[in-house]
Amino acid sequence: MTLRKAKLWQKVTAGVISFAVLIFIWHIASLDSTFRQVMPGPFTVLGKFFSSFAEGIGKHVMIYHILITLSRWAVGFVAATVLGITLGLTMGWYPKFESFMRPLFELIRPIPTLAWIPLVILWCGIGEMAKYTLVFIGAFMSIVQNAYHGAKSVDRTIVDAARMLGCNDRQMFFTIVIPASVPAISAGLQIGVASAWSSVVAAELVRSSSGVGWIVVTGQQSNNMTQILVGILVIAVIGLLLALLIRKVEDILCRWNKRGR
Amino acid sequence: MPSAKAKKSKKNQSYIWLSILSLILFFFIWWLFTEGSLGTIKENVLPGPIRVFKTLIMKFSNKNPDGATMQVHLWASLKITLIGYLFGCLVGIPLGIFMGWYEKADMFINPIFDFIRPIPGIAWTPLFILLFGIGMMPKVIVIALATFGPALVNTYTGIRQTKEVHIWVGQTFGASKFEILYKIAIPSAIPFVLTGMRVGLGVAWSTIIGAEMLAATAGLGYLINLCRGIYRPDIIIAAMICVGIIGAILGYALTLLERQLMKGGRW
Repeated sequence: MTLRKAKLWQKVTAGVISFAVLIFIWHIASLDSTFRQVMPGPFTVLGKFFSSFAEGIGKHVMIYHILITLSRWAVGFVAATVLGITLGLTMGWYPKFESFMRPLFELIRPIPTLAWIPLVILWCGIGEMAKYTLVFIGAFMSIVQNAYHGAKSVDRTIVDAARMLGCNDRQMFFTIVIPASVPAISAGLQIGVASAWSSVVAAELVRSSSGVGWIVVTGQQSNNMTQILVGILVIAVIGLLLALLIRKVEDILCRWNKRGR
Repeated sequence: MPSAKAKKSKKNQSYIWLSILSLILFFFIWWLFTEGSLGTIKENVLPGPIRVFKTLIMKFSNKNPDGATMQVHLWASLKITLIGYLFGCLVGIPLGIFMGWYEKADMFINPIFDFIRPIPGIAWTPLFILLFGIGMMPKVIVIALATFGPALVNTYTGIRQTKEVHIWVGQTFGASKFEILYKIAIPSAIPFVLTGMRVGLGVAWSTIIGAEMLAATAGLGYLINLCRGIYRPDIIIAAMICVGIIGAILGYALTLLERQLMKGGRW
């Protein structure tokens, strides 16, 4: 235990050192006035980051931008999770349904989410609905894909055993197929989180009037490098937090799987 | 279980009419509500399948309305993607090997990398546009950054998963540390490297479309975004079809490469 703890401390120290070195190099470089013209120093960016919670970028303060982006992400992601898991599992378990849905799904799957942006804007306008739809598309594909493979690769022995014990179709689906696919589903959710996050940022970059993507793109339009870097910083931190959150959820849902291994 | 597999494919065969039916139904409903008798959806919202198909064919010879044919846009996107992708792989794979092999280096680089990774490639675009203008350069960097992540992570995992027994065998036979890396760790990581390259290519292809929407004068993303402004969804859908087909072809090419390189079987 102590060895593990020592290892952890070593890791944390190394991480802190490498960040410190990076910021130091950046700071030294920004002391040069020509460099500072293109790229502000780390402390300017951090200062702007903290002050943006009080002063605001554009019409709103930072917390508003973060919350509105997160709300777009959440609505699209939850819808994609519910529909995606349902579709994926039924597609993986019922062969007739699979033969019906699979071609349609394969028709749409190769198109990258970002390519949908203009069409979605054309259909849903430039309001919130367009962002929800885009996040939905981004997360939906990988969630369906993984749930589908999960349901397809349920252990045959378990299925046969259940059938032998006289389990009906409904029981089979709810008590065997769904729990057995949870690891695959959570893998899909992890990919889905990341792609939903990148979709919402991209959607805001292309067309929006608030949100963290908007902060970055208005920074570009007003030639404000500090603002761009603040935006990217926020995007990184939230993306990291979302990934950690989903990993935690997976840990809880797949506890049985880990213990078994 | 070859027999089970054969049985399964036979079972799928019997439902093939359902697949065909679903595709026909899809196009029929699409046609019915746009060009057919129930044509309630306006052409500048969703054009019919025949119209889209005609536009797709026409666009390869017709320069209107954006001043370039489809193949010019295709080539513009593809060129930038491939250059950026190459750079991303050239940096990401060696760095992944390095980080996977030297634990000390890993401890220092990994935290920074973990912090940068959740940033979608597309979010970097405004920064590099401001630094380098709207030419090819910023997009190549953005694509390289987008490819870099998956290439590095997968290579890293591959090197980390080298079987200890294999390393011991190498050590017993007196291989130097470098020989073990070069002859054991890297070859056994190749399946992972290829997975990383495939994921990276998908991400790169998706990112270029987004980057071209933000700043470009040619390319499929530019075409798609331009046609939104002038209400030409038929061109948008035609271009999306092209994006999908090219993406599928690129993915398939890497699968072929994978098969070629892994002829020795799985190990």
